[in-house]
Amino acid sequence: MSNNGRPGPKTPVTLKILRYKPGSIDPPRYDTFQVDADPLMTVLDALEEIRATEDPTLAYRHSCHHASCGTCAMKVNGKDVLSCVTKVLDQKSDVIVVEPLGTMPLVADLVVDMGDFARRYEPAGLSFVRESEYLTEAQTPEGVERYTRFESCIECGICLSACPVANTNASFIGPAGLAAWYRSLQKGDGERADILAAVDSDCGVWGCHGAMECTEACPSQVQPGDLIMYLRREVVKSKLPWAH
Amino acid sequence: MTPIPIQQATRRRKALRAWFDPRGRGLGFIAFALQRITGLGLVLYLLLHMAVLTTLLQGESAWDQFVAFAKSPIMLLFDLLLIAGILIHGLNGLRVSIVGLGFGVKQHKTFFWIMMLLSALLFVYAGWLLFAH
Amino acid sequence: MQKTTPSKRGGSWIWQALTGVLLILLLGLHMIAQHFVVSGGLRTFQDVIDYLRNPVILVLEAIFMLVVTYHAMVGVRAILYDLGLDEAGKKKATTVLTILGALIIVWAAYLLLRLTSM
Repeated sequence: MSNNGRPGPKTPVTLKILRYKPGSIDPPRYDTFQVDADPLMTVLDALEEIRATEDPTLAYRHSCHHASCGTCAMKVNGKDVLSCVTKVLDQKSDVIVVEPLGTMPLVADLVVDMGDFARRYEPAGLSFVRESEYLTEAQTPEGVERYTRFESCIECGICLSACPVANTNASFIGPAGLAAWYRSLQKGDGERADILAAVDSDCGVWGCHGAMECTEACPSQVQPGDLIMYLRREVVKSKLPWAH
Repeated sequence: MTPIPIQQATRRRKALRAWFDPRGRGLGFIAFALQRITGLGLVLYLLLHMAVLTTLLQGESAWDQFVAFAKSPIMLLFDLLLIAGILIHGLNGLRVSIVGLGFGVKQHKTFFWIMMLLSALLFVYAGWLLFAH
Repeated sequence: MQKTTPSKRGGSWIWQALTGVLLILLLGLHMIAQHFVVSGGLRTFQDVIDYLRNPVILVLEAIFMLVVTYHAMVGVRAILYDLGLDEAGKKKATTVLTILGALIIVWAAYLLLRLTSM
């Protein structure tokens, strides 16, 4: 196979992919496939090649191929990443283990149930509006050096998979959901007291133990862990006796 | 919002496996795991400590026996482990409390290393006290 | 499916942090007074008894026991909660740990009373 037609030297790499089909491949097992990778081949490219040439039953999710849609998140050698921007040869290993995201229930092969993500994310009621960060005509007001992108979350589920608390606690709102609540608070969407009440519980901000793996793993600079800490500060501030 | 039915048992099994899978984890997870492991260790020690102190009720000779046993090299090594656990749990806990209230969030890793350095220095000092006196 | 009714626990996080800070001070005092300033690191039998008869030390040790037991039980509960307990399981964990904590405190109080009256 020709790596999307690109010429140049190729390196043989083995992909060890988790397989699961309810009723047929159950319990899950690992299947191995060989690909010839060039330096530009991504893990998603490799999966597409395997699906096209070796196993049409291989299930995975993807859409945009450029880290914008957040559909193709999975674990590559144990790390939660977007497979469309994760290069095969950058892994620096002969065998690459590809597994579905954690936390969310497994549907088939590399596909997890994103409904679990939505269940935790949607209550914040964040409108999905994302403005371009490349607006040349955008002028910043006095005292503002540059705009920080606000609605950066691509709802990929990586933070939820990387979070050690969400891994084990199904009722924890989780990083993306709590970050969404914080952004609602910043934007002034809804009553401040209602927002703080929605997150002031052991399923909300107090469920977080500050491992910050979400901030570490987030491919879109949302930094959910940081936002949870700031959200907590707001909750505590609102409870101080002199706050009223 | 319709909740998705998830089998509790599957969830729990997965959860436990996730706990023991260090792949792809960063410093934050290590700090989090250390805090819990040292915490559980210290809870066990609390119970053990109470049991040991109960020998005081049996009078002087029982206590003297324990003191002699406590000064054996193996017990001193155990003390070192205990001191390391207390220092890591206490100083990392202080960091978690401060970062957990939204202060020094961006510097949480540097903060962790400072606390571990402090733990190491105090550990060496405590070790010196333990073996030199 | 687990109920997602959140139980309020903000209070206990703050208390866990506050008792944690307090423990750094109390444990520091405990270590210095009971071990570091003592030649050989452990007090002799009579020394322990005499020492506990000092009301300041007795009060400090009693507060230390209360705070450390609370901190330990809340800590264990947080770990149990994260195993994905449902609301009934959380209640059970809280009950069991409250009883265990109470037993530890009663045991400690009994020890202190017996030792100071020796």
